[in-house]
Amino acid sequence: MVSLPLLTMPLLLELAYAPEQPPVEQIAQMLGANGLPYSLPIHPNLVHLTIGLFVIAIAFDVVGALYPLEKRVFRFLALPITRGGFHDVGWYNLLACCLVTVFTVAAGFYEMLTAVPLPDVRSTFGLGGMTTMLWHGVGGVLVLAIITAMTVWRGVQRYVWRRDMGRQVQWLYLAVGVVMYAVIGLHGTLGAQLAAEFGVHIAADQLLQAGADLHTALP
Amino acid sequence: MLELLPPLNDHNLPWMDTIHPIVVHFVIAMALIAFVFDVVGVVWRKPALFEASFWNLLFATGAIFVAIIFGQVEAGLAAPYGASRHLLDIHTTIGWSLAGVLSLLAAWRYVLRNRDPQVLPLSYLGAGSLVSALVVVQMLLGDRLIWTYGLHTVKVVAAMREGLI
Repeated sequence: MVSLPLLTMPLLLELAYAPEQPPVEQIAQMLGANGLPYSLPIHPNLVHLTIGLFVIAIAFDVVGALYPLEKRVFRFLALPITRGGFHDVGWYNLLACCLVTVFTVAAGFYEMLTAVPLPDVRSTFGLGGMTTMLWHGVGGVLVLAIITAMTVWRGVQRYVWRRDMGRQVQWLYLAVGVVMYAVIGLHGTLGAQLAAEFGVHIAADQLLQAGADLHTALP
Repeated sequence: MLELLPPLNDHNLPWMDTIHPIVVHFVIAMALIAFVFDVVGVVWRKPALFEASFWNLLFATGAIFVAIIFGQVEAGLAAPYGASRHLLDIHTTIGWSLAGVLSLLAAWRYVLRNRDPQVLPLSYLGAGSLVSALVVVQMLLGDRLIWTYGLHTVKVVAAMREGLI
């Protein structure tokens, strides 16, 4: 009982230092109709690179792993191939993906700070805007962590464990990659819903919500 | 033709959500990384990167035709308004041109790779930088159609159906 005033003291001090307005309001003057201090969001453009590089990295390692089956097809196509070439794509694309995705996630979190999902909307998944944003944010960090781990795993396979082997990747690695297709597909769908259903950082959607006439607001 | 498609949903689409922006992941990422790998391969003298670049470019070239097919269907259902009509026209023109340009670049690359996979002439890198710039321009045009004009978003489709735009 004695400690109660001691416990409430820091709380009162914190309240005394509470900012007058939330951080988003402090930069509200700098934001355009799309809720950003610039005209086009950065995160979705980096997403092209993350998804494209990851999917193709895994796909080409699958092609490299199944090389004995497809040799004849490529000979028929007059397309000179080496097994190592397919695995080069698998390695370098994943390495590039890992480096880019750090910025994809960073840009995503910055743009989430000023995101305003349209109110009273339920997504195709039956979720609200804030819930969708939370899942997409937490999921993004998880996906980055898994991509980073897979890049390390892939590098060790290439340069240490399987350096002298034709098939440069373990079947388990390919299986994890295919599972990640599903995870990234689901994760990307949440992101797409934030745009197409919740209108996050879409100028037209936000202007319509504010009651503007698009004929004059977006000529 | 359009009556062959399933009924349109609240995105004004016969399928769940826009497919074109998903397919273009593979054109944008693969075309741009092909150029990056070429430059890094030349600077660091790593011919393995040339091989990775070749396959990425080949994939981008295949993917752009799929992107155009979905792009045409979804553009036809986009109901563009105001300046987005003009943007969509330019995006369509550059899109088709880019299919030709990427095919030419890939063909050139195929010949170069058959001759000597370890070497890239500077003229090819120059062409690669121009094509990459064109890909970025095309990406920014597509960006404006969705992030400024919100084509195929639920809110804009609803406004379009109410006759507001």
